[in-house]
Amino acid sequence: MSQQAASLRPWLIGLREAIPLLGGYVPVAVSFGLISVQAGFSPWEAVAVSTLIYAGASQFLFVGMVAGGAPLWLVIAMTLLINLRHVVYGPNLAPWLTASRWWPWLMHGLTDQVFALAHHRLPQLPEAQRLGWFTGAALLAWASWIAGTALGAVAGNWLMARWPLLGEIMPFALPALFLVLVVPRFTSWRWSLALGSSILVALLCTLAGYTNLGIPFAAACGALCFYLVKADTARAGGDDE
Amino acid sequence: MSNALWLAVLASAIGTLLLRLVPLLWMRRRLRQHDGENGSEALPQWLGILGPLMIAALFGVSLVPRHPDALSWLATLIGVAATLITWRFTRSLGWPIAAGVTAFGAVVILAGLV
Repeated sequence: MSQQAASLRPWLIGLREAIPLLGGYVPVAVSFGLISVQAGFSPWEAVAVSTLIYAGASQFLFVGMVAGGAPLWLVIAMTLLINLRHVVYGPNLAPWLTASRWWPWLMHGLTDQVFALAHHRLPQLPEAQRLGWFTGAALLAWASWIAGTALGAVAGNWLMARWPLLGEIMPFALPALFLVLVVPRFTSWRWSLALGSSILVALLCTLAGYTNLGIPFAAACGALCFYLVKADTARAGGDDE
Repeated sequence: MSNALWLAVLASAIGTLLLRLVPLLWMRRRLRQHDGENGSEALPQWLGILGPLMIAALFGVSLVPRHPDALSWLATLIGVAATLITWRFTRSLGWPIAAGVTAFGAVVILAGLV
């Protein structure tokens, strides 16, 4: 019995430590469920999109483009373009992953938020606990995203009728979440300049109507700033790491 | 949902999984080749830089309100401030988001009452 409890512990630790993620996940998932139904999807279809694609920002884009009558090849291409940022997450975690064959399947749960949490926690955990911890954290996040979508799709209209401002207020969970993930990276002038320029360029691109292309473009501008500052400090004989 | 739309969902889902999975497999192979070297040292520098910058870009995009009028910008500004202040004290993920959404919502509701 005690052996069973010990084997469950990493799962439970992962579940417990992923609970703060729900504050960001559930409101956005409820918004997604509601918007999907308003765009003509049934509740089951909205839940299927959340279960299978499981990538927040791109799901909003997916249902929006489908509702707008965009060609499906363009919908797929833009969805994958938005999710292209995920390519940097797996390699960043790789040094801390064990040899288990379950890791590749668990990558379905590697969202922005789970990555941020895992990047922080995996190096601190003993090797034997990492798989269980990640599984618990990722499954809780996935389940909350699916449940939130179902709630929004089924009861979203009722929620909106009862609290009409809810749909206007809840989406703010998304910028708040990204802000919390970004702020700890402002560790030097060099990083601050790179991150600040990425934020500013992305904001301006969105205001100009180029939201989707703006994300990789803004990140590229930030990287350019990062390397320009390095070149500048190297010429001055210093380093601002 | 038509069959074509289901196919689009499946293609997007498989494509997204591959975007998360293939770079991991590539990095694991690279780590095996650099056996004995510190894992983070085997990571190309540009990869470590792009991760946070992509999240920063997502933050910039998500900052723009649905209806970008003066009230929405004010609510966004106050929501961001509340998120930052709460993060400063808690250093957690959940509470700053709750505080930010509450502050943003309070501005929107109060403006509606005035």
